[in-house]
Amino acid sequence: MKNKLNEDWLSVIIAFILVLLALIGLIQPTWMKF
Amino acid sequence: MTKKDISNNKQTNNALIWTLTGLALVVALAFLAHWIKLQVYNIKELPLGIPGKALEYPLWAAIIGILANFLLKATGIYARLKPGFRTELFLKVGLVLLGATISMVDIIKGGFGAILQGIIMITCVYFFSWWVAGKFKLSDTLRAVMSCAVSICGVSAAIAAAGAVQAKKQEVTYITTLVILVALPLMVLAPMMAGWMGMPQAVAGAWFGGNVDTTAAVVGAGTLYGEQAQKIATLVKTTQNAFIGVVAFLLALYFSTVVDKKAERPKPIIIWQRFPKFVLGFIAASILFSLLAGPDKTPEWVANGLNSIKAMKDWAFCIAFVSMGLDMSLKDIKSMGWKPVVVYLIVTVFNTILALAVSWAIFGWLFPA
Repeated sequence: MKNKLNEDWLSVIIAFILVLLALIGLIQPTWMKF
Repeated sequence: MTKKDISNNKQTNNALIWTLTGLALVVALAFLAHWIKLQVYNIKELPLGIPGKALEYPLWAAIIGILANFLLKATGIYARLKPGFRTELFLKVGLVLLGATISMVDIIKGGFGAILQGIIMITCVYFFSWWVAGKFKLSDTLRAVMSCAVSICGVSAAIAAAGAVQAKKQEVTYITTLVILVALPLMVLAPMMAGWMGMPQAVAGAWFGGNVDTTAAVVGAGTLYGEQAQKIATLVKTTQNAFIGVVAFLLALYFSTVVDKKAERPKPIIIWQRFPKFVLGFIAASILFSLLAGPDKTPEWVANGLNSIKAMKDWAFCIAFVSMGLDMSLKDIKSMGWKPVVVYLIVTVFNTILALAVSWAIFGWLFPA
């Protein structure tokens, strides 16, 4: 249970760090092109 | 430092190295899946008249994951690498990023339909599954874990239900395997059937969200069908995910008052403890980008950021689908016999038909997109 909770919050933290990096331009769309 | 401490440290370091190797392998396989997707994209028409562009990355990622799964088991290093296969983590990262691409207005609009569909589907499918499993004389704990998995959201619901009813670990791994085994073919078959029936994107998305059991496969099916289907499928499934806490609380209450009267009564805090927190991240990301985008023209830096986020979301999902293929295990199925498999398949057929009717009624008629 504890691990699951941690993983849930961890996913939110990782996602928001990625959002922040994308917004300030440190991650460019051309690098991530899917 | 004693000899025992040194040995423990060494073991921890080794485990970390294997975990990171597993993680690196999953990422490398996701790159391979992406490369195959690009190659198939260039083929105008495949056998049976299937256009190359119809075969999206979830399919290749899952196939590669399954192939790697067999290969790693044959070479005997699977168990050591397994901690690096983090399906749920990457899936949830992808879902929060997806939230940034859906406007708050769309979430509110689709949300009513999704909540209504969630309540109908969870209630009907849960009790149907409970009843069928009872006819086949499965244990109460296995019935509860299976009913939650099939009616709410597969793996996460099975884990939450297992905690609420004190199910055996073997029952959870068994249901988890069954969920993935059934969800993988459904991920491909459901969009094909939706195509044959000519279903509109929103209705098809709602159908995938209601009938495919695990969130990863729901996102995969939606992606195979189209962008709007992916969004609605995710919205419907995320809404169902949000009900986990309430169902886990009610289950724990039922087991402590009816099944095992000596068990401790659950506290309402369990609703929050079991609540999937990524749903909050999903909504927060949507609110943030709805505010940043503004009412008229989206500022260039926001549009640029959003393009990166869309691509990162696809990478996160691709890695999650590879992990899902890697997670599959046939060993647990053999150990528990055929009865639960039959029950699960009966309930899946019921779930598929009911979800088809409910999604047409809600997203095709009551709240058309």
